[in-house]
Amino acid sequence: MNPRFSLLLILTAGLAVAFPPLPVPTVAPQARTFQVDAGQFAYSPSKIFVNPGDTVTLELVSTDVVHGIYIDGYDISFEADPGQTQTLTFIADKPGSFRFRCNVTCGAMHPFMIGKLMVGTNDWLYRSVGLAALAVLGVTISRKQEV
Amino acid sequence: MNRSELISRILVYAGVVLVIGAPLVFWARTPLIHARMPEYGGWSPNIIHANVGEPLHLKLTSDDVVHGFAVGQMDMQSVDILPGKVTDITLKFDKPGIYTFYCTRWCGLNHWRMRGTIEVSGSPSDSEPASPPLYVSLNLDIDAPHDAPVVPAQKPSAIRGQGLIPNSPFLQSFDYYRSNSPYQAFLDLSNTSLTEPQRWDVVAFIWRSNTLSESLANGKQLYAQNCAACHGENGAGDGVFADDLTTAGESSMQTMEGAMDMIMQSPVDFTDPQRMLGASPALLQGKILRGGMGTGMPMWGSIFTEEQIWDLIAYIYSFQFEYQN
Amino acid sequence: MTKIELTRIPFIKNAFKSRYPQLAVFIVMLIGYIFAILAGLIGTPVGSHNFSIVFVWIAWWAILILVAVPFFGRGWCAICPIPLPGEWLQRGAILTPPDKRPKWLNLRVPKMFRNIWLQNISFLLLALFSSVLLTTPNITGIILAAMLFTAIGLGAIFERRAFCRYLCPVGGFIGLYSQAAPIELRIKDKQVCVTCEGKPCYNGSSIGFGCPWDVFPGGLTKNTYCGLCMECIRTCPHDNIAVNLRPFSADLAKPSTRMDEAFKAFIMLGSAIIYAGVLLGPWGTFKDAAYNVGSSAWFMYAGIFLSIIFGILPGFFTLGLLGTKGNATLKHRFASLSITLIPLGLMFWVAFSLSFVLTNASYILASLSDPLGLGWNLFGTANTAWQPMLTSILAPAQALALVGGLIWSARTAQKAANEVKVSPIPVIVYCFIATSIMLWLLL
Repeated sequence: MNPRFSLLLILTAGLAVAFPPLPVPTVAPQARTFQVDAGQFAYSPSKIFVNPGDTVTLELVSTDVVHGIYIDGYDISFEADPGQTQTLTFIADKPGSFRFRCNVTCGAMHPFMIGKLMVGTNDWLYRSVGLAALAVLGVTISRKQEV
Repeated sequence: MNRSELISRILVYAGVVLVIGAPLVFWARTPLIHARMPEYGGWSPNIIHANVGEPLHLKLTSDDVVHGFAVGQMDMQSVDILPGKVTDITLKFDKPGIYTFYCTRWCGLNHWRMRGTIEVSGSPSDSEPASPPLYVSLNLDIDAPHDAPVVPAQKPSAIRGQGLIPNSPFLQSFDYYRSNSPYQAFLDLSNTSLTEPQRWDVVAFIWRSNTLSESLANGKQLYAQNCAACHGENGAGDGVFADDLTTAGESSMQTMEGAMDMIMQSPVDFTDPQRMLGASPALLQGKILRGGMGTGMPMWGSIFTEEQIWDLIAYIYSFQFEYQN
Repeated sequence: MTKIELTRIPFIKNAFKSRYPQLAVFIVMLIGYIFAILAGLIGTPVGSHNFSIVFVWIAWWAILILVAVPFFGRGWCAICPIPLPGEWLQRGAILTPPDKRPKWLNLRVPKMFRNIWLQNISFLLLALFSSVLLTTPNITGIILAAMLFTAIGLGAIFERRAFCRYLCPVGGFIGLYSQAAPIELRIKDKQVCVTCEGKPCYNGSSIGFGCPWDVFPGGLTKNTYCGLCMECIRTCPHDNIAVNLRPFSADLAKPSTRMDEAFKAFIMLGSAIIYAGVLLGPWGTFKDAAYNVGSSAWFMYAGIFLSIIFGILPGFFTLGLLGTKGNATLKHRFASLSITLIPLGLMFWVAFSLSFVLTNASYILASLSDPLGLGWNLFGTANTAWQPMLTSILAPAQALALVGGLIWSARTAQKAANEVKVSPIPVIVYCFIATSIMLWLLL
């Protein structure tokens, strides 16, 4: 096989891995409520799994000082004092993996107080690993033919 | 030494002197009041001096987490003290005396210990003689056990009790409500023809009818901000710090003047009918005003106004009684 | 391989030859550096609002790892203020090339320290305390001051920039990754250097100082130890020094065989992976362990940290190499092929830093207006609210950086494997697995 051709093939395969929409699993959206305890410097639970389209309600319970939650990608936030549980309801309409983090300075490790919201499967991860595998394959093949 | 070397040296020396000197001067000339979590020092300084009638300018900053600032028994909106930010406050005092300032945003288990004093000096204006609080004039022993021997089978309802109210004026008087426990009212109703559940419903109605709706709302807010972190948002004594207080136990009190016989206790469960129906508003006033003396319950006398304490008490009874359908 | 000689452009050449532009930058940097120390010591103890933390660990770090190192190699070292006071004291002058009498002890650095193991150790020491360092202004201020004074101290004892060359924790990895950068300082014609009398570029002359980095420019083949201080451009009597624009990763074609440099690559790769997990992951236990220096949890964390860097990562790498057949010794293969990890590690750091920097960049505006935490509002930005930037393109950007880094390192592996005549496949698989782990941690 001509190296240009194989590179083209790899490139096409790469595009095929990176962009087309995956079949969305048909799970009926539902309402879910999570109580999230926030203490210096972690959330519990620190990982929240929902399906795309779910109506998600977070109940934030601060257990030591004032904490908050800001969700990357969704750009929504709220905060709660200890003893004053606050709730936030939103529709998880963006699939993927998002970090949520404390948005109220809460001590030294505040910038690293992080949790994860997983909406459906983490497509970006799988696609990226697929791309990485293809890239490795592409580099290996094209080099072999040059030698 | 040639000219360019000389100029370079002057520039370097001047720059270094300036960059060290100028910030130090500004820093030394800006006295800040630092707020830290009580475990790390609380307010510093925690004693402030002021004069009657003269404005007191304060610059406050937080060194760790979100804190708040308010002066006890003063009609002022509390202000947030945010980490790394400076908040300017101007206060004015009409009367001399010692005022308590305190943290208004929960900043950990010992948040309530985060207090300081403002000593306001000046000639006393015509001071009105202060009347002693109700629990003192009633001569109540607020540490004595006060459990109600009988409790209702279901939650007493003010709605149900409304139509049943007997023609006994003293039961409905304001003074009666404040100085008697619900259980006492229940006993005082025993010479009527009502059944026991009906008598409890009437008690609920009496408590409700001596409470303004805005008092309840105000009490609810005060409760959420000041009490819920220990006593629980639903009054069940299960707030986020309840476990910590219990486990803190003796060790936490050794730091307090060696008072070994007093240990941190679990916060009181306001949904417990035995305890709450046996307590009069006056008794609760005493407990809130004086605090638990080492049990972990703060002393609120220097913080809340009398009105605020009555509002709070009105709200606390709502964990026992049904006021609405 | 095409190179473009930048010093052919008169403007650039004059800017390098003259001492004044560099001196102007030096003075500004030194003043900024001292201010950062002071802000760390007297400013607010809240890290995310303190000038020292925000400008060192967010602004400077972002510029260093996202721009300076990938594109300018040791460009930062060219303007770094840390060695200046020591160097000025050592020379007895700021501008004037002095008489050649040594001002201080002027000793040669002992042979056993003339490698980058001390830099590896100093980086690891900071890395193990990084959670505290990154969040505590006092500590950052003290470390910044300590670097300044250590540089002065070493300048008084040893000749040239001993601190930069052998101890600076930052210099070590800048040097490592500068090999991938498209900027280099090289001689134009080897023959000119061979016949050059007195070698003023190394020994100094009446118009300039001998190489502060203890490097003879005539022998330069890679960027690692050239600090781009431009002194040799000034001293070379034959105009034989050039600054070139070149293809990325040009130095990686000639693998090193030094173990100190090989382990530097593992240290940097491992640190990026660990930070991505500990600082950006959702696991609070790790964060507590990393922050509570001195606690038993921290010792566990330190133990795990070191065993990943010195055990697991090089261990699996060696296992992979055992499967290859070649004439070179295992040690030689290990050192040569470890160069593969340079583009990979650089892109790991880029991907990790993107997340940290874009999330916290808004702190820069706030602390710029109130650098000492005294309630000032110099530029009207003191009350800028914290707002993460570009969160929606962060994941694609990180994926792109990591996959790009993998391709880059796979190509590097092929070249390096070719040099030592072994199969590159195990190393490429190793890189693929490391990339997958990093993808999983970051995405």
